[in-house]
Amino acid sequence: MASPIRILTAVPICDGHDSAINTINLEFIRHGIEVIYLGYHRSVGDIVRAAIQEDVRAIGISSYNGGHMEFFAAVVDLLRKKDADDIKVFGGGGGTITHDDATIMKRKGVEEVFFAGTSLEEMAKFVHQRYGKARTKRPRPKTRDQELAHKLTEIEDAAGKRKKHRTSNIEHRTSKVIGFTGPGGAGKTTLIDELVLRFLNRNPKGRIAILSHDPSVVGEGALLGDRATMINSQDDRVFMRSMATRGQAGGLSPATHDCLALLAQSNFDYVIIETVGTGQEAMPFQKNGIVDRTVLVMNPDYGSRLQLQKIVMLDLADIVVVNKSDLQRARTAHTEIEQRLEQNRRSQQLIDTVAKRHRDPGVDKLFDLICNRA
Amino acid sequence: MSKLGQIVESVENYNKFVLDQVKRARTDEKFGRELLGRWNDIKAKIPTTRTPTGLPLPRLALPEIDESGEIARYLFGEGLPGEFPYLNAAYREMYLEPVREIESFEKNAGKIDKKLPQAEEPTRLFSGLMLAEDTNKRFHYLTRHQRTHRLSTAFDGPTLYGLDSDADGVFGKIGEGGVAIDTVEDMMRLYDGFDLGSPNFSASMTISGPAPIIMAMYIAAAKRRFGPKVVPKLRGTIQADIFKEVQAQNETIFPIEPSLRFLTDMVEFTTREMPRWYPISISGYHIGEAGSTPVQQAAYTLSNGFAYAEMFAARGIPVDQFGPRLSFFLDCGLDAEYIALARVSRRIWAIGMRDVFGAGSKAQLFKLHTQTSGRSLIAAEFKNNLTRTAAELVLAYMNATNSCHSNSADEPFTTPSEEWIRLAAHGQAILLEESGIFKYTMNMLSGSPGMKAVERAVEAAILDEFREIERLGGVLAAVEERYQRSQIQNAAHRYEQQIYDGTRPIIGLNRYRDGDEEIPEVKLVRAPRSKQQLQVDRLRKFKKKNAEKAKRGLDKLAEAVERGENFFPMLLEAAEVCSLGQITGRVQEVVGRFRPMV
Repeated sequence: MASPIRILTAVPICDGHDSAINTINLEFIRHGIEVIYLGYHRSVGDIVRAAIQEDVRAIGISSYNGGHMEFFAAVVDLLRKKDADDIKVFGGGGGTITHDDATIMKRKGVEEVFFAGTSLEEMAKFVHQRYGKARTKRPRPKTRDQELAHKLTEIEDAAGKRKKHRTSNIEHRTSKVIGFTGPGGAGKTTLIDELVLRFLNRNPKGRIAILSHDPSVVGEGALLGDRATMINSQDDRVFMRSMATRGQAGGLSPATHDCLALLAQSNFDYVIIETVGTGQEAMPFQKNGIVDRTVLVMNPDYGSRLQLQKIVMLDLADIVVVNKSDLQRARTAHTEIEQRLEQNRRSQQLIDTVAKRHRDPGVDKLFDLICNRA
Repeated sequence: MSKLGQIVESVENYNKFVLDQVKRARTDEKFGRELLGRWNDIKAKIPTTRTPTGLPLPRLALPEIDESGEIARYLFGEGLPGEFPYLNAAYREMYLEPVREIESFEKNAGKIDKKLPQAEEPTRLFSGLMLAEDTNKRFHYLTRHQRTHRLSTAFDGPTLYGLDSDADGVFGKIGEGGVAIDTVEDMMRLYDGFDLGSPNFSASMTISGPAPIIMAMYIAAAKRRFGPKVVPKLRGTIQADIFKEVQAQNETIFPIEPSLRFLTDMVEFTTREMPRWYPISISGYHIGEAGSTPVQQAAYTLSNGFAYAEMFAARGIPVDQFGPRLSFFLDCGLDAEYIALARVSRRIWAIGMRDVFGAGSKAQLFKLHTQTSGRSLIAAEFKNNLTRTAAELVLAYMNATNSCHSNSADEPFTTPSEEWIRLAAHGQAILLEESGIFKYTMNMLSGSPGMKAVERAVEAAILDEFREIERLGGVLAAVEERYQRSQIQNAAHRYEQQIYDGTRPIIGLNRYRDGDEEIPEVKLVRAPRSKQQLQVDRLRKFKKKNAEKAKRGLDKLAEAVERGENFFPMLLEAAEVCSLGQITGRVQEVVGRFRPMV
């Protein structure tokens, strides 16, 4: 079976109108498309960087705040400049983009502009027809990130065809690999983004990679939305790739292992891997696998103490984080988890964080722990 | 129980109180007689006016009831216009025109009537385009026939996000969809030629994320033109509604908690130093435009309002000081709820403020600006938008809004052009001045059985929403769990589905659509490159000129933020010499940037 189409959607800088794109994203997913959603108020640079790293087929831009002529053209130009113009651009803006505007935009390289009244189904059909066929001849990648992005696509495609990709050789690994897991809503993405900020500040030349996962909807596409809430990871020194689970249980994708192996030998200081929100039984990272350290991020509202006994990752994680420790229940949660960890008689670390808070001392502590001991 | 839970209780208790009064009026003979006497007295004092056709009409219409229980239900449950719980109107006479020919039953009624007419027209049109001087010209055009100058300012994208016009990648957005403001000098150009300290002038500024910074620039500009004594005289409104930004409009620049702290800093300053200023406009409009149901719109707006009230009270600002300086902004579309949405909101607000916050009568008023629904307007056969807006205007005035903006029919494609703005403004004048619907009699369209039915259903649904938010731990907790956002998104998605499957008829789009797509020929208002470049050049000149002073100003501001003290006095100083982007950037270094929610 052919891999699902991957596209990136975004709303331009200084524009917060996300109502239309949210609806369109849902419709795309229903039509089997994997949508990497970058969010609103995003610059040309952020959009193009993300599109190249994610190696999407196309970028869909929803603009409602004017300036679309310049913005769309700038995206197309930057893609060309980066030799990435096999990534196509389409979009719309309700009634704010006139037919005359659209003519000029298309002349400048935008593939399609949708007007008010276009049905959602028409748009999904357009994506399938225009971007559904495999890309045969790819331009030679110009940068290492681009080459990496292309290779990751090959691995993902091969996993989809159940073909074995070249066995990943992890002897030459150059990166430390940190795995993040935990239930949905615990704040994993925010925590990672805050750690990235600290990493970038401390290592002026360092590079970091993030492999993030979101669930595929059964029989449909996936909304890969982690990038949308990240503010510090929109940086040339951060390589991020979003993957859909494509039917595999346990919080990762069939291609994760090979993708991670490739990233681990691609000269990043750290590779961070984030699972989807997981349940009690999940053990996403294999023992003796590529992951060096595992971090379990918990929400203080896990329910009763009994629930803790059932969480397998509490036995396996090297570091357990109680995020949202400003919540009322956090102190109790800390005590209960501490007692639970004591049963294991391993030197597991327990840290409280408030990742949403700027310069949170708990996140500082976690960062030090990861850097010094990983 | 958080404050919102108490609000729910207070409304339930009040409704119980009304029922008790009805019962008492029927069983307690003395009380019943008193009410009847009061009722007859009220009726006797109502002056009569004559329409141009000679028809005599009472200036206040009341239900035809003469039974003490029903009188109690009306007086306590609804209240006369201008009386608690303000269901019918916040003020006694709203849009009534001056008495034409008085036939009063009371000899002294004429004396009272002299001061009845409202001093200001309720029309307030939203405007902002290109550079400050262009918007200024538009302001002068809009107000040329008005005795009072009520300006309403739209800002461009970079300004709304606290960015300078020379920031990376925003060039094409300069002056698009609103006016570009970078510095105090732009602010001076924006309101040039208007007397900012005059009681006939008020400025409304629609901006929230960087609101305290823009407020500081406005004050700085006013001081430069009129001296420091103008500050207590300044009249106007700044939107500054952080909750609705996070819930719906996505124009937040600092994390939620510091954003709320800065807002409270500003409110503390303005309630003390600028007693005629409205430092926040608690807005449901954008919630409605983002796709919420009308009930969600009212419920989130009210609960946000109560959360702000709790915050300001916690800072130590007395409720009777900040209460009268709160204003509200709602959307008015075509759904049935809009027949009474604002009426019900006004009642809930009054009860909650009185019974939970202990507010006096002036702090109980839900002062409302309404805008007709932009979302209800569509590009296909766009002239139909005139009818949509007209119907929405009738609904807005039926709800006794204090001021109103009517959208231009060309809004689905562009910043409205003068031709269509004129029609939109004239629509209001036709309704209020030409037609006899609203100018002779208060309650002209109030109190129909249908309206009562809507009121009951809407109130119950709003209280249900309150209970849900309460269950999630209150407004702030619910916001952080993105409860309101996902509710709004679900409603928006349902709305789109209904349009596509035809269960929601949109004339000219999914019904009675002509085969040929009408391509509207409208004059587009776009900021030319030369103007955008001019804005950048001016900004760079300003920054160069003030480089030294700006550095000191920013340092002092950052220290104040770091110390956690009220940052507004330092912001006032910084606004004299720093640009919007410089201030935003420096404050973000201390408190961080807003993390978007999806």
